[in-house]
Amino acid sequence: MAERPQVLAGARNLGRDDTGDSPAARLTRLKEGDTVTARIFCFDPASDAAPRFETHRVPYTKWMRVLEVLTYVSEELGGDLAHRWFCANRMCGTCAVRVNGREVLACWEPVEPEMTIEPLRNAPVVRDLVIDRTAYERRVVALTPWLVRQEPYPGFPEPLTHRAMAPTARALDCISCMCCFSACPVVGLGQETSFAGPAPLVQLARVALDPRDGIDRGRIALEHGAVFDCISCYKCEEVCPVSIPIVTGAIEPLKALAFKSVAGKSRHARVFLKIVQARGRIDPSALVLGVQRLAALRHPLRIFKLWRRGKIDPLKTMLGFRLPDIEQIRQIYQAVRGGPR
Amino acid sequence: MRRLAAETAVIGGGAAGTFAALELHRRGVKPLILCKGLVGKSGASIFAGNLVVPGRLLGNTAEQARDTAEFLIRMHNHFLIDQHYARAAGEWIEREYYPELERAGLYLRRDDRGEIVTNDGPVRCMAAHSQGESGVLFMDLRRKQVLKAGIPWLEETAATALLTDADGAIAGVMALDLARGEVVAIATRAVILATGYADRFYPRSTATREMSADGIAMAWRAGAELMNLEIQWWHTSDVRFPLCWQRTQIYPNPIIGSSHSARLYNSDGEVFFDQEADAPTAMGPYTLQLKRLAKQVLAGKARFDGGYYSSFTHIAPNTVSAYTDYAKAFTALGKSIATDTLETACSAHYRQGGIVVDPARMATRVPGLYVAGGVGGHSNGLIAPVTYDGMLAAETVAGDLPRLKPAALPEDKAAAEEARLQALRRSLPGNGVTPAHVKKALRALMSEKMGFFKNAAGMEEALAEVTRLRDELMPAMGLANVTPRLNYAWLDAIDVTNLLEVAALTIRAALNRTESRGPFYRTDFPETDNERWLVKNILTPTANGDPNFRTEPYELPFLKPDFPRRESLEVDW
Ligand SMILES: Cc1cc2nc3c(=O)[nH]c(=O)nc-3n(C[C@H](O)[C@H](O)[C@H](O)COP(=O)(O)OP(=O)(O)OC[C@H]3O[C@@H](n4cnc5c(N)ncnc54)[C@H](O)[C@@H]3O)c2cc1C
Ligand code: SF4
Ligand code: SF4
Repeated sequence: MAERPQVLAGARNLGRDDTGDSPAARLTRLKEGDTVTARIFCFDPASDAAPRFETHRVPYTKWMRVLEVLTYVSEELGGDLAHRWFCANRMCGTCAVRVNGREVLACWEPVEPEMTIEPLRNAPVVRDLVIDRTAYERRVVALTPWLVRQEPYPGFPEPLTHRAMAPTARALDCISCMCCFSACPVVGLGQETSFAGPAPLVQLARVALDPRDGIDRGRIALEHGAVFDCISCYKCEEVCPVSIPIVTGAIEPLKALAFKSVAGKSRHARVFLKIVQARGRIDPSALVLGVQRLAALRHPLRIFKLWRRGKIDPLKTMLGFRLPDIEQIRQIYQAVRGGPR
Repeated sequence: MRRLAAETAVIGGGAAGTFAALELHRRGVKPLILCKGLVGKSGASIFAGNLVVPGRLLGNTAEQARDTAEFLIRMHNHFLIDQHYARAAGEWIEREYYPELERAGLYLRRDDRGEIVTNDGPVRCMAAHSQGESGVLFMDLRRKQVLKAGIPWLEETAATALLTDADGAIAGVMALDLARGEVVAIATRAVILATGYADRFYPRSTATREMSADGIAMAWRAGAELMNLEIQWWHTSDVRFPLCWQRTQIYPNPIIGSSHSARLYNSDGEVFFDQEADAPTAMGPYTLQLKRLAKQVLAGKARFDGGYYSSFTHIAPNTVSAYTDYAKAFTALGKSIATDTLETACSAHYRQGGIVVDPARMATRVPGLYVAGGVGGHSNGLIAPVTYDGMLAAETVAGDLPRLKPAALPEDKAAAEEARLQALRRSLPGNGVTPAHVKKALRALMSEKMGFFKNAAGMEEALAEVTRLRDELMPAMGLANVTPRLNYAWLDAIDVTNLLEVAALTIRAALNRTESRGPFYRTDFPETDNERWLVKNILTPTANGDPNFRTEPYELPFLKPDFPRRESLEVDW
């Protein structure tokens, strides 16, 4: 019998046991009679010049969740706080906020003794903690994340095994809560990239990895999703409340599909591969040069900053630095596919 | 006031509403969806974790097909269902529903050999992707289908009134667009009302945040009849703490891929409900579970609001986690399904009754008003039958539209409704109360006087108290902030009007039904009385807004109860 992966596994809970931050530890940190202090972001763009924070003290109840604090503030303490939620059961995915800088589902997240509660990033605020989901939704729709069959539907039940569905199975857990979308630094760059963002790409991966789907999802991932703009920083995975392996389970497979289907355009991946094959490890300045070519030199200040911070080393790039065990790495390439084509 | 027009307005973004809209679209009618929440992310539909395998689907034997129909009629509806409707819905579900969903991409969980995974036993169910999560996948699919079809919607927009013309036919809908803080008037001659059936009348409820009996209240004011409002269901094994997890169920349904399910324990640690042994045919054995709990409460070994426990400790953890998300509450609390129990409590579940419809057409007696799903009184739906309703309502509307008069918005009524809404958006008076406070007072009184054990005296007190809330508290109601934009307190104020009105009607309906049936129990009439009360308990509006009562018997062509009268706690449904 196939066992479903433990929900706790994943980037989200890495290291939590060591820091006393495991779910079990968090049940005992506060006890009834204690008070939770919540500094809550308040802002009405129609009437306020700038956001402000209001501080409220809320009595702790057993195993309290962040949502209960928000409800207490809006229902018991005077009654004006706009926050969105529907199911309080980790299903509707609408109550996400940032608590002490980290994206969480309000209904699922245990309270902290002191909390700063803010709206998600990368979406406009409608009022207080409520964000406008429309622009995000438009990105999802642009990826056409619904099944387009390769073959006519053969009738119920269609022949299909779980083994064939396994690659897409974890992505099916996505509740479109936008936590990852808020946490992603590349989405945060705004107009500078056309990257669709992690959540829309998870939606795309659902169908792209479904064996019944029949259209070129690699091309969509690239042309409408700019999937190679993902820098694999794993910020998204760290916050996913249902522990979806967003990078390894959705974005990387999409990159692989894009690489296969749109040879000319997946420049970033191809240059990356070539550099590693030539030098044994990635060299950021060679990568930027290879991908953007001369355009990369247009921002001398940025180059200087990157160099100051030790992110790039133009000298090494020019000298063609390579690792001593480069032969071993080339053998890996050979073994996998005979090097980039 | 923003003005719009629609060929048909569909009110509600759950399984019934979205399917009605899709079916209208398919038939060339242009619908507009109004949804108080987000389409596919609000209402009960996301909670539908189990999908019943009907008829002869997936190799069901003739016996299993019969057991499944019996489950729906007896255990799930306590015979308060039109059996012709039940049969027609079942046939459609078997023939059209699952094929349509699968064709559109829904993944019904297979094993590695490719068999759809079901539980063992007389009544089987399956799951979309993972048992417990089916509804989420389902509604995500519906949301995308609606987006793909380009059907327009107004989200986070609450319908507040149905407008009728001089002949009493539907002419428009009024609504509040929450985010913009704008009143919207929609001219339309047909409305499909699909606002669901779980409403937040109690401190603990399975209804999502926004559910406040709006559909029932609007239909009543527009002249529709209501029925069986008193048959209130209870979920008996929802997590007690954290308090907001009141909709997080420790499912008593058989785990797919097995014949096992969770057990309930009283405060002494004794098992008092074991679905496998106690209710082998009950796919959702809620009523039986509830009656067992009631006996524990009488024995002082549990309370309806806690003090009893649920667990999977008797089942191999792999069996539980193979195909379900049932461990999610345990995991999030750092507990183990192998060794830990969780305290559980009752949450008010759905209201079985609702608006009176002709279940062959989904039409009400108000011309132009159609109903789909939980808000109807015709059946206590599961997600599949409510979708059938959506299909049927759309089919009927498409056929009726050519005969319905063109819609002209009744301007005076629209202006009056806008004035009513704006009047509710007023500052908190000096000694005033917030709408949230009134909701809380209503919920407290409902749980005290309209819980499982109730009697005429308590219900009369409840009615007097609801009247007091309406006459004394409501006029003192005001808002801390009167901004129109995204003002949830304003919406609360609108909700309060509906909740109080429907609470009063529900209490009256409960007083009128002098028996006990299914989850409805009266200590002063403890018997299930199939001689007198196997009937629809119908409320008809009168000129002053009070109900007249009448009853109508059910036809029983396929299945009849096998006793005339019996103490309800001893009946196994
Ligand atoms: C906890 C729980 C578990 C369940 N488990 C199962 C199961 O395992 N299997 C199964 O088959 N069924 C199950 N059900 C039942 C099933 O979910 C319902 O039968 C079905 O979802 C009802 O669908 P609906 O479309 O009628 O209503 P809902 O899904 O409740 O939708 C109502 C919609 O109307 C909107 N609305 C409300 N008021 C207004 C207004 N004034 N204006 C505009 N929109 C409004 C809401 O926002 C919502 O979008 C369960 C239900 C619950 C609550
Ligand atoms: S890994 Fe990629 S998608 Fe995820 S947060 Fe980082 S850049 Fe964004
Ligand atoms: S991938 Fe995870 S974090 Fe991102 S939207 Fe889906 S559920 Fe939320």
